Amino acid sequence: MSRGHTLTLDGVTHRFGPVVAVRDVTLEIKAGELVCLLGPSGCGKTTLLRVIGGFLRQSAGCVLIDGAPVDPLPPNHRRVGIVFQNYALFPHMTVAENVAYGLEARGMPRGRIREQVAAMLGLVRMEAFAERYPRELSGGQQQRVALARALAVEPQILLLDEPFGALDKNLRIDMQIEVKRLQREAGITSILVTHDQEEALSIADRIAVLHRGAVAQFASPTEVYDRPATLFVNTFVGAANLLRGRVADGGAAVALDCGAVLPCPVGPELAPGAGVVVTVRPERLGFAAGPARDRLAATVRAVLPLGSLTIHEVELGDGSAIKVMAVRQAGEPALRPGDRVHCEVVSPDACAVFPEEDRERGDA
Amino acid sequence: MPERARLDFDAWSFRLVMGGLTAVTVFFLLFPTVIVILTSFTASESLKFPPDGYSLRWYAALLGADQMRRAAWNSLEVAVMATAASVALGTAGALAIGRSRAWWAHALDSLFMSPLLLPGLAFGFAALMYVSLLGVELSLATLTVGHIVVCVPFVLRTTIASLAQLDPALLDSSASLGASPLFTFRRVTLPMIGRGIGAGAFIAFMASFDNIPVSLFLSDARTEVLPIHLWQIIDTHLDVRAASVSAVLIVLTLLLMLVAERLAGLSRHLR
Ligand SMILES: Nc1ncnc2c1ncn2[C@@H]1O[C@H](COP(=O)(O)OP(=O)(O)O)[C@@H](O)[C@H]1O
Ligand SMILES: [Mg+2]
Repeated sequence: MSRGHTLTLDGVTHRFGPVVAVRDVTLEIKAGELVCLLGPSGCGKTTLLRVIGGFLRQSAGCVLIDGAPVDPLPPNHRRVGIVFQNYALFPHMTVAENVAYGLEARGMPRGRIREQVAAMLGLVRMEAFAERYPRELSGGQQQRVALARALAVEPQILLLDEPFGALDKNLRIDMQIEVKRLQREAGITSILVTHDQEEALSIADRIAVLHRGAVAQFASPTEVYDRPATLFVNTFVGAANLLRGRVADGGAAVALDCGAVLPCPVGPELAPGAGVVVTVRPERLGFAAGPARDRLAATVRAVLPLGSLTIHEVELGDGSAIKVMAVRQAGEPALRPGDRVHCEVVSPDACAVFPEEDRERGDA
Repeated sequence: MPERARLDFDAWSFRLVMGGLTAVTVFFLLFPTVIVILTSFTASESLKFPPDGYSLRWYAALLGADQMRRAAWNSLEVAVMATAASVALGTAGALAIGRSRAWWAHALDSLFMSPLLLPGLAFGFAALMYVSLLGVELSLATLTVGHIVVCVPFVLRTTIASLAQLDPALLDSSASLGASPLFTFRRVTLPMIGRGIGAGAFIAFMASFDNIPVSLFLSDARTEVLPIHLWQIIDTHLDVRAASVSAVLIVLTLLLMLVAERLAGLSRHLR
């Protein structure tokens, strides 16, 4: 198996006429790493993947594998494997013929092809289906075959475009585990495209969050979740409550429109009095006994028990609604709609502060 | 209830159209065919239905009809050559313009399809004038070229239709697996569009074999083709051999269609 190749994108931009689909993307992907390209649909994920695969020539910038530019190479000389969302298995060939295809294209001798096909089908546990046609397989099985076919030619980079999109939820989790296992075993540098943040958080070594064609943040899942770089990342990855306010206390706190004053880490670029948006995740809010300067007075609107957790929707003094998540206690819910409560942020670093303009630009 | 009335109306109009179409088809296509076949077995000298007695004498007469055999052979030769050329040109054309969204692809598509819209007689006459203007003698070659022009659109249409069905991700996958464009064409594109090409070839062959308007103008005296010869023997002496050869053609066509259906599911590509 091929061990580890690095992939570098250096200022890659791609335009379709006036539309800038990919905007100055620079990413350094380490050997053997699994990176998720995460973003809403239309943000340029597929376009970026097609540039890396050599199917599209970017308008500007450079793609490098192991530090060497591959831009002049056509797809069949790039050694970049790709698995499409609909698997794109050759319908007129059996499973074994599909897996053998790339090896035949490279002129490998028959005997070695047979061994390699057997090994690949073993790897994805599809030996028993070698003589079946793709139409005789389930979605998950087709995906295993597509993976075996792509891995058989030992590509340096593996690209997966929304590979789990067509699978139902249970199968999706199985296949995520499977892909992660195969990717680890092969030690192959991989890029997985998804618009599903949970998928990205669970499977990726690092996540590149794309927003309108540009990289909004490139970091580990915990970093992206706990320290989102932009308001967009904050709201796209995980749930977030948005609270409007103004910088107060000489930059040490934010005076919220609903009346509370929250101590927060306000960046030096935000002057006192500047309009800001404070974000807090629902699980980082709790209920406290009485009123205080840094507590949010609210009225419970709805209580949704979700197994081990309970989500409360509460309305603040300024009429805005936020969500508070709490571990569910045994018995009847302690709170009912209409109850007056006081919400508290579990720690100051649970808040993130972004300039008001970000929200007005439509980032959230 | 208005809803109920509408349903009734839908059901009735459906039955009316289906029934009407079926009746027309049976009456004007099936009956004449059956009558020709029955008449061809007549024992008498004339094309009369129903025949007074039955025999195979007009089929035996076909064996001795040298001129007709020559005409049939010419027709077959032209049809085979025109079909082969149409497959090569039509497939190449379809590959070039089938996937392109450029304006020139649309323009070329319309240009290549125009022989289907242009009345055959007008094209045949124009071609004749042009050929004589160029000072070229009429021959099997001019006839074949004329047939190619009217046969290419069939192959082009069916091949473009099957290319439209071809998932581009298959071609991208093939390339990413290291296959050259030629390997991809042989192993993926061709097998996937082969049936479309075959269906087009079948229609092109039939269109050439019974083409009259173009043959009328572009064949010389020595290369008489079957449909025109048939017309002449009916026109001059109501020859019963016209019926027997028609029966042979009908049966051969049906057999060819059955084989094509078996091999390639032809009918799915004619829609
Ligand atoms: N072939 C194309 N021609 C013109 N615009 C395109 C083409 N492909 C994609 N786009 C545009 O580029 C943007 C990014 O598309 P895409 O990369 O497919 O997004 P994603 O995969 O993230 O959903 C979209 O606005 C889309 O409309
Ligand atoms: Mg996409």
